[in-house]
Amino acid sequence: MSVPLNILFWIVVIPGTVVFGLVASWIVRKVSALVQWRVGPPLCQPLYDIMKLMGKEILVPQEAQQTVFMAAPLVGLAGILLFSIMLWRITITETAFVGDIIVAIYLMALPSLALILGSSASASPHAALGTSREMKLVMSYELPLVLAFIVVIIKTGGQLNLAAIAQQTPALSISGMLAFLVALLCVQAKLGFVPFDIAEAETELGSGVLMEYSGALLAVWKLIQAVMLVALPLFLVTVFLGGFRPNLWAGLGKLVGILVLLILIKNTNPRVRIDQAMKFFWFYCGIALAAAIILAIIGNYCGVGWL
Amino acid sequence: MDKTLLIPLTYLSLVFLPLLAGFVLLFLPNRVKIKSFGRSLTLTISGLTFVLAILIFVLGQCKSTRSVIPVDWSVLQIEIGNLKLDLLLSAKPLGAFILMFAMGFGLLITLYSLKSIGPMAKRVNEYYGAILLTIGGSAGILLSNHLLFLLIFWEIVTVSLYLLITTGGKGSNFAATKSFAMIGASDAAFLLGIMMVWVHSGTLVISDISLAATSTLPIIAFLLLMTAAITKAGALPLHTWLPASGEYAPVSVMALLPAAIDKLLRIYLLVIVVRGMFELNSGALSVILAVIGAATIIIAAMTAIVQHNIKKLLAYSAISQVGYMVLGIATGTAVGLAGAVFHMLNNAICKCCLFLSAGSVEQATGTADMDKLGGLGRKMPLTFAAFFIAAMSVSGIPPFNGFVSKWMVYQGIIQMGTEQTGSAAKLWPVWLLAAVFGSALTLAYSVKIIHSVFLSRLPSNFGDVKEVSLPMRVPVLVLASLCVLFGVFYRQVLEWFIYPALNIEPGTAIFGTWDSILATSLILIGIALGLVILLVGLLARKVREVPTWTCGEVQTNEQMIIPGTHFYKTVSSMGGLKQLYAGQEKGHFDLYNQGGRVGLALTEFLRWLHSGVLPMYLTWVTLGLLVILFVVCKIW
Repeated sequence: MSVPLNILFWIVVIPGTVVFGLVASWIVRKVSALVQWRVGPPLCQPLYDIMKLMGKEILVPQEAQQTVFMAAPLVGLAGILLFSIMLWRITITETAFVGDIIVAIYLMALPSLALILGSSASASPHAALGTSREMKLVMSYELPLVLAFIVVIIKTGGQLNLAAIAQQTPALSISGMLAFLVALLCVQAKLGFVPFDIAEAETELGSGVLMEYSGALLAVWKLIQAVMLVALPLFLVTVFLGGFRPNLWAGLGKLVGILVLLILIKNTNPRVRIDQAMKFFWFYCGIALAAAIILAIIGNYCGVGWL
Repeated sequence: MDKTLLIPLTYLSLVFLPLLAGFVLLFLPNRVKIKSFGRSLTLTISGLTFVLAILIFVLGQCKSTRSVIPVDWSVLQIEIGNLKLDLLLSAKPLGAFILMFAMGFGLLITLYSLKSIGPMAKRVNEYYGAILLTIGGSAGILLSNHLLFLLIFWEIVTVSLYLLITTGGKGSNFAATKSFAMIGASDAAFLLGIMMVWVHSGTLVISDISLAATSTLPIIAFLLLMTAAITKAGALPLHTWLPASGEYAPVSVMALLPAAIDKLLRIYLLVIVVRGMFELNSGALSVILAVIGAATIIIAAMTAIVQHNIKKLLAYSAISQVGYMVLGIATGTAVGLAGAVFHMLNNAICKCCLFLSAGSVEQATGTADMDKLGGLGRKMPLTFAAFFIAAMSVSGIPPFNGFVSKWMVYQGIIQMGTEQTGSAAKLWPVWLLAAVFGSALTLAYSVKIIHSVFLSRLPSNFGDVKEVSLPMRVPVLVLASLCVLFGVFYRQVLEWFIYPALNIEPGTAIFGTWDSILATSLILIGIALGLVILLVGLLARKVREVPTWTCGEVQTNEQMIIPGTHFYKTVSSMGGLKQLYAGQEKGHFDLYNQGGRVGLALTEFLRWLHSGVLPMYLTWVTLGLLVILFVVCKIW
C-alpha cells in the first residue's frame, strides 16, 4: 500500500467502521420489520438513537465499582475497533496485519469480556445473572468456534495467516460448509441475537447485562453492537467464503447475505434457556464439527477437495 | 584476587549462603526472639542472591566474559567404586535465566511475608529458615551439572515445602503429609530413573548424557524422570497434593513454591530431560506427554470452575496451566518448546501475583471463601488492579503475556500437525481444541473470582476493610506490571531470555502474526476515542449516582448479592458431567486416596494375620514348613 493510500486508510477506517456498523444495524431493523410486515425505520434511525442517548444523563449505581463500570464500554469499543480495523486492512491489502486467526479468536472475545466485567461491576442482581449467562454463553460457543476454525486450518494446509486463508474458500466443501454453518450460529450467539439473547433477555432480566447502563455509556454499548454487526460477518467472509474475491461487490454481497441470514434466524426463533444453549453448542455442534474434522482430514489425506 | 576464581565463588555463595543461613534459622528455637532477626537476614540474603543471579545471567550473556567462565567448576569429588560423585557447578544459559527469575520470586515473596502475618507468626524462624532453604536448594538445582547432587538439592526443596506447608495452621498437617507422600514417591521414581541412566550411560554429568530412547531401559528411565518432573509441577494424575495444600498452606508459601519456583524447576527438569538427556524418537512418548498435557488443561480447569475457595481454585488453575507447558514440550517443535518455557515464566509471574493478591484479600477480610466476599474492588483498588491484570493474563487475553505464550504453544501444535508424521502429530486437532477451550475455561473461572471477590456487591460486614500495607502491595504490583511488559514487548523477552536458553535462532520459530505493540497502541487509541464520546456525554448532562434499580420495589434488604460461586452450576449439573463432578468431589479420582485404600487393605490383611493367637501362628508355621519341604525336597 502506498503512503497516501495508507494515510487515507487510517483516516477513513475508524469512522468508516462505525458508519458501516450503523448501516448494518439499520439493515437488521429494516429486515426484521419486513419479516413482521412492518415498514421499518429510516436509514438514519440508529444514528438518531445514538445521538439521543448521548444527550441523556449518565446514571451510576452507588454500590458499583465505578471505574470498571465506566471503563468497560471503552475497553469493549477499543477491542472491537481493533478487530475490525485488522479485518478491513487484511481485506484491502491482502497481507497479514496485527494478528493471525488465533489472535482474531482472542480479540473477538474482548467485547464480550468487557460486557461481562461492566455488568458485574454494576452491582445489580439482574446484571449479575446476566454476567453469569453471558460467561456461560462465551464458554459454550467457544468450543464449536475453535473446532470450526480447526476445520479451516486443516482445509488450508496449516495456514494461520488470515490474508492467505482469504485466498481460499473452505466453505466450498462438505466439512467447510458444516463448519461455516456452525460458526454462523456461534456468531449469532456472540451478537446476542435471538435465540441466544439469553444474557440481555429483556422480558425476564430487563436487559440483564446492560440493566444499569444509561446515557453516553449505553450509547457506547450500542455502538459496539453496531460495529460487531459488520466485523463478525466480515470475519466469517474472510475465513470461510474467500474474502472479498472476485470484487468489492461480491464481497459486500457476501457480507449482507450473512447478515440477512442472521436476521432471519433471529426473527423466526424463540429464546432458548442457557442450559439448552450449552447443550446445543457443546454436544450437537461439537459432534457435527467432529464429523467435519474427520471428513476434512480424510479429504486432505486422499486429496479429495470437496470432502 | 584471581578472576577465574570469582565466578565459582559466586556460584558457591549463591547455593550455600542461603542453605547455611536457612539451617541456622531452622534450628534456632522459635522462643528465641531476636528482634526481626529472621526477617532481616532472609531479606538480605534473598536480595543478595537475586543480585548474584542477575550477575551470573549478565556475565553469561556478554561475549567477552563468556570465555573466562569455566564450563564446569568442580567443588568436591568423591569416588566410590566406579560411582564418581562430583559437585559440578555451572551456569548453563537455561539454568542462568531461570535462576534469575527464581531468585527474583524469592525476594518478592520474602518482601510480601514481612507484613503478611498468618498463623505462621508463632513459627517465624522456621518459616524464614525454610524459605532460605528453598532459595538455596533451587539455586543448587539450577546450577548443578550432576544428577545426584541435583537430586539432593531437589530433596532439600521438597523438605522445605513440607515445612512451609505445616506453618499454615489448622488442617495444614494433613496437606503437608499428602504433599510429602506424593512428592516423596515421585522423588523415589527420580532416584530410580537416575540410577538407570547411570547404568546405561556410565555417567551422571548432565551435559555428557545423551541417550536414545529406543530400548526398554532408557524409556523406563525417561518415564521415571518424567513422573518426578510432572508430579512436582502438579500435572495430572499426580496433582492432588496441590489443591489440598492450596486450601490450608499460607498463601505466600503457595505463591513461592507451587506457583512460582516449583513450576520453574519442574519445567526446567522436563526440558533438560526431554531436550538434553534423551533423544526422543518414539511417537508413543510424545503421545503420552501430549495426553497428559491436554487432560491436565481440561480436567483441572473444569474442576476449578466449581470451587468455592479462592486458594483452592487458584491451585487447580496452577495445575491446569502446567498442561500448556507439557503440551508445548510434547510438540517437539522450536516454537512449541519456546512457548512452553515462556508460558512457564509467564504463568509463574501471573500465578504468583494471583496467589499473593488472594492472600491480601484473605488478610484484609479474614476469609478466602468466595461466598462470603464481594465488592472489594472499591475498597482495595490496587490489589484488584493487580489481580485483574494477572487473571486476564492467565486467561490469555491479548495483549498480556499469557496470551503470547499460549499462542506460541498453539503454533507449535499446528506445526507439529503439518510437519510431523507421528501418531501425536495426527491427533493435533485434539490437542489444539483442549488448549484453546481450556483457555475459555480459564476465562470462566477468572471471571468467577473477579465477580465474587472484587465486583458484585460489598457485604455489609466488610464496610471498613482497608487496602493492605506497602510491603504486600509492592510485590503484587511489580508482578502485574511484568505481566503487561512481557506481553507487549514479548519479542524482546524472547530474544533476551528464551531463545538463547534453548539455542533457538531468533526469527525462525514463530510463524504466526501478532504485532503486540501496534495492537496495544490501537487499543489505547480506541479507549481514547471512547473517552471522547464519554466526555461529550458528560458535557451534555452530568453524572448522577443512584441506588441500584430494583424494578421499582422499595427494598430494605441491602444484601441482594448473587455470588459467582453458583455461576457454573449449569455445567456441573449437566447430564454426564454431573456424575464425574460427584466422583471428583468424593475423591474417587485421587491416586493418593486410592493408593491409601490399597495400603489400608494390605495392612488390614497383615493385621488379620498377626492376630496374636498362638495356634494360628503354629498353623501358619506348619503350613510354611510343609511348603518348604515340598518345594526344597521335591517330595512329590
